[in-house]
Amino acid sequence: MRGIWQEARRGVAQRRGRALLTATGIALAAAMLATAVVVAYSLHTGFERSAARADLPDVIARFDEQPLNRVRSRIKALPGLAAASFRLEVTNISISAGGHSSSHASVEVIGPGRRGFAILSGRPLGSNYGEVLVEQGVARAWGLHPGSTLELQAFGPVRVVGISESPDNVAFPLAVPRIYISRQSTEARFGHEADPDVNTAEVWVRDPARLDEVLVQARATSYGIRGLRFVTRAGVRILLDEAAGIVIALLVALSAIALLTASVMLASSARAEVQRRLAGIGLRRALGATRGHVTLVQALEALLVGVPASALGVLAGTLLARGPTDRLLGVLNEVPPGGALLWPLAGCFALTSAIPLLAAAVPVWRSGARAPIALITGLELRSSARGEGRSHRLPRPGGTLALGSRLVTARRVRLLSTLIVLGTSVAFILLMLALASELGELADNPAALGKRYQLTAALPAADAPSVAALPGVYAAAPRYEVQALDSYSLGETIDLIAYPGDHTVFEAPSLSAGRRLRGPHEAEVGLGLAEVLGLGVGSTLAAQLPSGREARFRVAGIVNSLQHDGRVAYLSAAGLLADEPAAGEQIAIRLRPNADRAAVSAGLQALGATPAKTSAAVGTSQSLIDALTSILRVVAIVNGLVCLYALIQALVLTARERRATIGVLRACGAGAGAVRVLLAGAAATVVLPAALAGVLLERVALGPALAHLAAGYASLALGAGPGEIAIVLGAFALFAAIAVMWVARLSTAETIVGALRG
Amino acid sequence: MSVLEAHGVTKSVGSGRAARRVLDGVDIAVEAGELVAVLGRSGSGKSTLLHLLGALDRADGGEITVGGERLTGRSERSLARIRLRRIGFVFQSFQLVAECSGEENVLLPTRLPGAPRGGASRARELIAELGIGPVAGHSPHELSGGEQQRFAIARALVNDPVLVLADEPTGNLDTTAAGDVLRLLREMTGRGRAVVMVTHEPEIAAAADRVLEMADGRLG
Repeated sequence: MRGIWQEARRGVAQRRGRALLTATGIALAAAMLATAVVVAYSLHTGFERSAARADLPDVIARFDEQPLNRVRSRIKALPGLAAASFRLEVTNISISAGGHSSSHASVEVIGPGRRGFAILSGRPLGSNYGEVLVEQGVARAWGLHPGSTLELQAFGPVRVVGISESPDNVAFPLAVPRIYISRQSTEARFGHEADPDVNTAEVWVRDPARLDEVLVQARATSYGIRGLRFVTRAGVRILLDEAAGIVIALLVALSAIALLTASVMLASSARAEVQRRLAGIGLRRALGATRGHVTLVQALEALLVGVPASALGVLAGTLLARGPTDRLLGVLNEVPPGGALLWPLAGCFALTSAIPLLAAAVPVWRSGARAPIALITGLELRSSARGEGRSHRLPRPGGTLALGSRLVTARRVRLLSTLIVLGTSVAFILLMLALASELGELADNPAALGKRYQLTAALPAADAPSVAALPGVYAAAPRYEVQALDSYSLGETIDLIAYPGDHTVFEAPSLSAGRRLRGPHEAEVGLGLAEVLGLGVGSTLAAQLPSGREARFRVAGIVNSLQHDGRVAYLSAAGLLADEPAAGEQIAIRLRPNADRAAVSAGLQALGATPAKTSAAVGTSQSLIDALTSILRVVAIVNGLVCLYALIQALVLTARERRATIGVLRACGAGAGAVRVLLAGAAATVVLPAALAGVLLERVALGPALAHLAAGYASLALGAGPGEIAIVLGAFALFAAIAVMWVARLSTAETIVGALRG
Repeated sequence: MSVLEAHGVTKSVGSGRAARRVLDGVDIAVEAGELVAVLGRSGSGKSTLLHLLGALDRADGGEITVGGERLTGRSERSLARIRLRRIGFVFQSFQLVAECSGEENVLLPTRLPGAPRGGASRARELIAELGIGPVAGHSPHELSGGEQQRFAIARALVNDPVLVLADEPTGNLDTTAAGDVLRLLREMTGRGRAVVMVTHEPEIAAAADRVLEMADGRLG
């Protein structure tokens, strides 16, 4: 065994250059795989991990303020109850610290018992007056830590004793700042109450599988408790998964592509190396080495190169992906996986070590079935010579460039595998760029959300014709919007939006299913709402309006909307105003292209209104957008490096196999320039079809598929634009040029005599 | 007039204690129209000499002139140009490109940047002259050894070089094919060209105008 080990070490040492190239490929493939795995695993498991750490309740019940004892007696009567705790959530509270402030903070007054949130640093609330816990999003944004002081409305300065994380909602700034304070503190400030009011109950059940029964019972015993809404742990997960779902889906697909890319690259590289060394292997067998011996030596060589390269790649990929992923998890109020990532990363390591091992060992083992003399005399290579039955070919046009192309096409399987690797990589890089640019659009362009109006004005509906008559205005109409509650108490509000006529003139989120609404009893609902409520075309949307009335609409269509996570419904004004005559109204104003906004604003001011610019629905989600964009960029860069490697590898393998051909050309008078032209022909044969296939794949398949996945969030045009295509093609041209120059330099550094010996 | 002149050419291989001087001050001059054979045992350095004369490798010392152009001290680019326009090579193992037909192999040097004009018509003439027209469209692996060597000779001549260097040109051929190749090499000299071939077979060398024997790194 020691002899085999030493033989393998010598083998690697003797071909240091090639081993380095192979190791680079393995490291890049491992980095790509690790990047995808870190992001996908972290996001996919983030909620469960965070919920477990925070001891998130199985159900959160929210209701209008009620005396604690009244609620507690109902809850205690529930079957299978494990524990319950009660809070009072007070909203729109002013807080300030370190130069930051908010007047929309949510302060949760918590009583004794289980908490339902995690404490990341510091300690839980004690009985001391003036202690608070601060949600980690606010702490991060405002630079707060245990020991900081916070100005809290009606309390004055309070002391931050800990930083909390609550996975039942996203973090600040996606959500409002959240502060926890103990009931003892509020009682010390406002006086003791024997039966304080609460508006939230957190419920833990003994058997979560029987949660449905508990909810039925809870509804049945909720008589007299108004405004009751339940949010289950599974419901929270659905809502949060919507946000991360698009990224997870993309990265799962990318992991599969990364795996395919890695397998093809590593296998073709290892196989070519074995092919090159078959004569030597045949010689060793002729000298008495067994089939097992030569296979073991080859496998050990592959391990010597693959294991450190794979480890390095996994480490690099992990380091690259961890930063942006942790930021994204922070925004989603989720915990980074920490040590839990070790197993998936170990899997990446094992896979990227095993692929080159198998790719090296299997061909050697199979070659063992042939006679040693067949290996020594190169019968293996001869069998790959094609052209039988193609006698009397006419000379084909083209010079050195075309010869380069023919050298590459002679190895059809390798060409195909390289085309697959590069084509899919081009498609994915384009997809990343398109997605990154669309995400940027979402952040600051309302049109990406289907909004076609640019301004709003607080004017009565009767003024709409006057506004429409202003120069530069294409259309103006009253826009009504109210927040309703789902009748089945999801715990979330629904935005009901209505126009008197065709709403698509002002807001046209794309249709995912069904058709546009046609009357006062129909609605178009956002995909997010449809998914959460299980609505389909033809089903009924029941909404509790602020007036207390319930309105029912037939779902005519499902639209792709990002506003309020897709929990919106478009109605006709007649349908909404019939049940909610006091619905908030403003004039939506759609401008003509190149309209003079200043003139329109002046006209609106003359009518007595101050125009407001339409904002994008994710205007407050910049941190989420930034984190996603960072991840996409990291993955695209790693993918680009893999492409560069695949290209260099394809050229190196061609040049290595065709040393003698290049030697003959040089002997015939070809200089370095002609060798570069030869290799450029080879590179073009790979790059041009791969780029074309990649662009087509992205525009025809991947882009539309991802846009469909994203339909619950936004109307995304994920077909790569000319700019993105130009960037990718330019980068590929640059990669090809780098690869050609590098490999040409390697090829011409060798003496012609050496090259002619093959 | 000498097509080829070399004076005091030296070449060592290996380094340190393993270094060995293969050529030790070789002098040679070959006139136009002359067929010269360099005879020597395996490892005597005759192929190394041929490589240096053909600018495929660089000498450690001495001076080599081909067609009036000095090879010593030139850049790689300049040497490539001399190989393209002044020198033709014939190899023992033919060295035809497997993906190209016989005719395409002949055309290869004519398609390189800087090649003299009229290469395509010269290729057609040479193929016809060497009697390989009927198999010009065949792939190398479909040709006999003799046919492959004729295509290799045609490729060596296609840019009309003044010097043809042949390294064991009959080494892989049977007696009949070897005789044909020798006849062709002889015919090449009829056009003001010089031909230098290296061989280890005295019978083959006997076909040359002049035989120089290589021993101990020197030509005798």
